[in-house]
Order: sequence, then C-alpha cells, then structure tokens
Amino acid sequence: LSFTALVLLSFSGAIGLTFLMLGCALEDYGVYWPLFVLIFHAISPIPHFIAKRATYDSDATSSACRELAYFFTTGIVVSAFGFPVILARVAVIKWGACGLVLAGNAVIFLTIQGFFLVFGRGDDFSWEQW
Amino acid sequence: MAGFLDNVRWPEWECIDWSERRNAVASVVAGVLFSAGWWVMIDAAVVYAKPEQLNPAFHTCGVFSTLAFFMINAVSNAQVRGDSYESGCLGRTGARVWLFIGFMLMFGSLIASMWILFGAYVTQNTDVYPGLAVFFQNALIFLSTLIYKFGRTEELWT
Repeated sequence: LSFTALVLLSFSGAIGLTFLMLGCALEDYGVYWPLFVLIFHAISPIPHFIAKRATYDSDATSSACRELAYFFTTGIVVSAFGFPVILARVAVIKWGACGLVLAGNAVIFLTIQGFFLVFGRGDDFSWEQW
Repeated sequence: MAGFLDNVRWPEWECIDWSERRNAVASVVAGVLFSAGWWVMIDAAVVYAKPEQLNPAFHTCGVFSTLAFFMINAVSNAQVRGDSYESGCLGRTGARVWLFIGFMLMFGSLIASMWILFGAYVTQNTDVYPGLAVFFQNALIFLSTLIYKFGRTEELWT
C-alpha cells in the first residue's frame, strides 16, 4: 500500500512541478523568476522536523515548540502563494503565469502534506524510514 | 422574548476532536494572519516604490509589531501567573513587565499605523492604498498576536 502511495505522490509532485514550469517556460511567458518558490517548498517541512526532534521525548499532546513550528510553516506556505502574486502585480510575470504557479504551489504543498500523512505515522520516528 | 436564541446551538462535528487540535488550529490561523499582514506591506512597497508614495519610515510600525508579537508570545501564561516550575531568568514580575512592554509596543504600533493612514494618506489628496497597507499590516499582526496568545491552551502541554 505504501508503494502505491509513493507512486501517486510522485505523480502529483510531478504535476505540481509541471504547472510551475509551464508558468515559466511557455512561449507567452518566458520569465523564470517564479522558480524561487521552490525555495519555499524546500524549507516548508523544516520547522516540523526541528520541533519533532526537540520534543522527541515528550508524551504531551502538544508543546510550545510544535505550535511555533506550525506557525512558521504556515508563514512559509502563505509566502509561497504571495510571491507570485507580487511578481504579477509589478508585471514581472503575467497573471496567467501567476495562476499556473499558484496551481503548482497548491498541488506541491498537498503532495508534501500527503507525504507526512502517509509516511509520518509510527510511534518511533526514525530518520531512515524510507 | 428574552433568551429566544438560548437553545440555538452550532452543529456538532463529532468526527474530529477539536479540543485536542485547538492549539494547532490557533497556530495555523495566527500564521496565516501574520504572513498575510507582511505580504500586504510587501505588495504596497513593491507597487508604490517611490518614497513620496510610501515613505520608508512607515515600515517601522510593522517591525515593532513583529517585535511585540515575539515578546508577547515569549512568555507563557503559566509564567505570568507564577505557576511554572522554572521561574525563567526574570521571574514572575519580570514576565509581567515583559508582557506589559510587549503589549505597549503592539498597541503603539497599531495606533501609529492608524495615524499614518489618516494623517499621511486620507487627509492628503493622494492614493490611499499604501496607508491602508500599513494599517492592515499592523492590524493583521495584532490579530495574529491575540489569536496566538489567547487561542491556545497550555493544558495541552502537560
């Protein structure tokens, strides 16, 4: 089952990246600044992992560290959506490209969340889970 | 007539246990508001790039609001009550003073942003959007602070 999930998640990740690349590479657009949202995608899981490491021994339902991680993760996600909109507002990219990048963002973040849902379970969280 | 809405209840969503997730929901909502506030300001700074349209000094309010957010949320309610085991480096009174200064900075920035909106934009014959952006940045950060501070319960930490 987890193999199927892995394949499906890779597929949706590829779809998301395709939207992002279409937003940059289509003849009508041709501007590659939106690729910077990949930085937001890459750093979005980091607060969660830091909090998980820091509160590894605790049994509590939640902790201040974990909540701060949620806060920063949300900030990173919103920023990934805000950045293309800003680019379109100053006409660095066209609004059509912005729409494609936003769609790509949505799919990629859902993929990342899917990874956490499918592979994040398990009481002892080991770093070599895959 | 009095109390005629007393028996009206929100529909119960039994499938998810909201009480356990209250802190997570509050953190996420606060994150959305906080980052929305900053991105509104970034938008105004990018679209209205000339100093006559948006004086760079107006960014000060947002910076102080953000500083106040982290000051206010650095102390837990338990520390302010004096309940927690470790007293931290300042103790209970220090925590209260810290919280007080944090709230003063927050309210000050909020009032300053309103002043900027009205004094520098509404009363002058100019495009209001940058003033609104300054105001909304600080208002959103303020709301985010309130939700992050009071929307979470510390009982879930034990």
